[in-house]
Amino acid sequence: MDRDNLVAPQSTPTEVTNGDAPPARPHRRAFSWTWLGVAPFFLFAILFLFLPSVSIFVRSFEKLGGGFTLQNIIDIFTKSDIRSAYAMSLKVSAVTALGGAFFGFLLAYAVCLGGLPRWARSFMLSFSGVASNFAGVPLAFAFVATLGNMGLVTRIIEGIFKTDIHQAGFTIYNFWGLSIVYMYFQFPLMVLIMAPALDGLRREWREACENLGGTGYHFWRFVAMPILLPTLLGTAILLFGNAFGAYATAYAFTGSFLNLVTIVIGAQIQGDVLYNPGLGNAMALGMIFIMSITMLGYAWLQRRAARWTR
Amino acid sequence: MAFLDIKNASKEFGELAAVRDFNLEVQKGELITFLGPSGCGKTTTLRMVAGFEEPNRGQILLDGTDITHRPPNKRDVGMVFQAYALFPNMTVAQNIGFGLRVRKESDSMIKGRVEEMLSLISLGQKGDSYPHQLSGGQQQRVALARALAIHPQVLLLDEPLSALDAKIRVSLRAEIRAIQQKLGITAIYVTHDQEEALSISDRIVVMYDGRIEQVGTPFEIYNFPTTAFVASFVGTLNTTDAEVVDPKAHTLRLEGQQIQSGEGLGEKRAGEKVRIAIRPERFNFASEERKDNVLDCTIENITFLGSIVRVQVALGSQKFFMDTFNNPFLKLPEIGSKTQITCSREAVLILSH
Amino acid sequence: MKRFPLFSWLWLILGLFYFFIPLISTIEFSLRMLKGRYTLEAYRVAFQDPRFYTSFGYSLLWAVITMVISLLLVVPTAYWVQLRLPKLRPYVEFVTLMPFVVPAVVLIFGLIRLYGRPPLVLTTTPAALIVGYVVLSLPYMYRSVDAGLRAVDIRTLTEAAQSLGANWLTIIKDVILPNLRVALLSGMFLTFAIVMGEFTFAALLSWPAFGPYIEEIGSMRAYTPQAVSVMSFAVTWLSIAGIQWLGRGAPGQVQTAGAR
Repeated sequence: MDRDNLVAPQSTPTEVTNGDAPPARPHRRAFSWTWLGVAPFFLFAILFLFLPSVSIFVRSFEKLGGGFTLQNIIDIFTKSDIRSAYAMSLKVSAVTALGGAFFGFLLAYAVCLGGLPRWARSFMLSFSGVASNFAGVPLAFAFVATLGNMGLVTRIIEGIFKTDIHQAGFTIYNFWGLSIVYMYFQFPLMVLIMAPALDGLRREWREACENLGGTGYHFWRFVAMPILLPTLLGTAILLFGNAFGAYATAYAFTGSFLNLVTIVIGAQIQGDVLYNPGLGNAMALGMIFIMSITMLGYAWLQRRAARWTR
Repeated sequence: MAFLDIKNASKEFGELAAVRDFNLEVQKGELITFLGPSGCGKTTTLRMVAGFEEPNRGQILLDGTDITHRPPNKRDVGMVFQAYALFPNMTVAQNIGFGLRVRKESDSMIKGRVEEMLSLISLGQKGDSYPHQLSGGQQQRVALARALAIHPQVLLLDEPLSALDAKIRVSLRAEIRAIQQKLGITAIYVTHDQEEALSISDRIVVMYDGRIEQVGTPFEIYNFPTTAFVASFVGTLNTTDAEVVDPKAHTLRLEGQQIQSGEGLGEKRAGEKVRIAIRPERFNFASEERKDNVLDCTIENITFLGSIVRVQVALGSQKFFMDTFNNPFLKLPEIGSKTQITCSREAVLILSH
Repeated sequence: MKRFPLFSWLWLILGLFYFFIPLISTIEFSLRMLKGRYTLEAYRVAFQDPRFYTSFGYSLLWAVITMVISLLLVVPTAYWVQLRLPKLRPYVEFVTLMPFVVPAVVLIFGLIRLYGRPPLVLTTTPAALIVGYVVLSLPYMYRSVDAGLRAVDIRTLTEAAQSLGANWLTIIKDVILPNLRVALLSGMFLTFAIVMGEFTFAALLSWPAFGPYIEEIGSMRAYTPQAVSVMSFAVTWLSIAGIQWLGRGAPGQVQTAGAR
């Protein structure tokens, strides 16, 4: 047998004509095809995500009539109404993040590992999926119907306890009321993210722990909690960011009345009296800054969580 | 008096009977293997000893004490899981020391024991590594060390090698056996791999469909299987039906040819059908020296397996395998040719169901 | 070892209460338009408002446009990243995280600055709005498609098709799209839910979408807003149910989007 004749035809780069599949090996023509495939995506991202962000950054240092200034940045830290807006936003975000994380975790635990029947888990997860998307304007109105002046719960409490909670000073149009509403989409989100993490706690770890003499306490303290902590914290951070960037729900409640960062920026866009684009930019920048830290924290914790679950 | 005594243990899961009437006495210091296919109940029985399943009926006694209803964390048995189950957030040293930490032993004592264990499994340098940094075989050794660190009375191993590569399996099983013998610890080993079972056990319990088929030493199980299942599960086997000719003279008729068995036809009557089995390695080509039980057959196929050459022959309508040692200078007959094979009388096993 | 999980049941019931009470309240509220009895009057009024239909129609139209653009941007990208350019993956994932870092209000701010004056005036057309919607839906569309591609190991399928001589069109038509059907539909449902419920972009850019419409009637009337909220919830629920029904058996993903 003549071995030379048996050598497979050399795979030279074939011409890519219209309609033929590109060759398996990357090659000059195929490369331009490939880049064309992803170019629109990145072009879009650059035009409509990065450039606006950069523009915000740049213009934060712009004075009202043009020119460089640090005053806007300084104003963020010094002007009391802006500081209080940030304070309020941060407070609401922190409270709903912690509350959502705590209650959401307990709920996730109850349906995943708590000994409840299987249907409870799938039902709760489906419903969490829906609830975490039910936000914004309709949610605001739903809570008006629940805890507002003519709300169902208000009336029920009046019927049972004979007290008008609104006369007693309760209102949903303040910090606590808003927090209660935000929780509606915060803690389902926690349930949705924690459920798979809890499922990831392998049964053998629990059994190995018991086999070595450990009780439930030992398992949670030494094994489960350390493993779950990155996901827990990461999700809490996610919840924080989620609440911090929220706008529609708060606006639907009280228009521009509530002093939140998002609301103030929104007012700037709509041509507020104190129209100072530089300031609006600076506040927007402040938001980007805070959200970036949030996302970095989340990403770092995600990586730590992934380290152990192979 | 048995060290570990399992009496009449049964376990059902709803309609499914996983373990039926399991009776076994395990002696101190012996390594006994539960061998069987998936679903035969071997793992369930092991988990009953560990305390992760509670038997519906029956008792488990450890050194005289009834532990049937004790929770798993109070049983003083050490378990090695198939999936290692090392705690991913702890180092190797912390994993091994976990049982001791739970028992509130002193730090110095824990440190000493951990070092002892690490040298036992030859991983002295890896104390500060995390499980995900180790290979599968290393992880399993750590799991073994972790179970042994608490000096349990019984060591339980649930298919510890099935997740590992073939080569590692062979070396690790020898290591496990060596450690078990060195420490003199009683152990129950569960596997579906019969070679594993044969190579490391003091005794083997062959299980099928929730029941014990046979208990015996590896030698007994392999050479004198008492049921058809054991005979076919352990090693390769030729099985076929034969008709009894003369029970007293131990003669049978197989595909028109006469064959003699060593014994075991005592209660049979002439004309009755029995199931017989012959191991492939008990066959030989007929020659001057070998004249017992000569059978005419046709060569159908010859497979070279390395140290063994497997010859497939046709005896009438039956196909038999014959294993003969590889000998590069021995000329084998051609495929399609007629030849004669022989086996001793004792090699013909009579099976009961 | 089997004690009744009281704690778990308690939490489950509390959780369900918290979820259902606002829904029940809203439904109850929406039925109370006419004093003294429960009627569907609020719904009738809602349906009689011509702006209900126009705003719903606009949102529907923009939802469809968003879906198309989003698909065109995401599917090729996800495919090529998976198949040829795995090194780009971190960059793509960074882009899909950006909409989270730059919330709606902030993005609008930047968009208006950049594209609100000559020569590039986008803000007087719905283009800016669509852009916003696409940005919002991008992460979810990408995640959905990416997961779908990974689930069917699209690389091996493509290579198998190529070795059998298929050309590009055949590969797209017969190999890629059918296997992505579920992922694509999931992404589309989610985009739909996002756009229909969206408020921030539409309100701040002054477009008559469904979100601002609901807000407007909310500030003017009672009962009808709740009726529309109930309907909006029903639409959301159906979309999510659609996604979950489509994705049955597939590993769960967290899909959260929409106006906050």
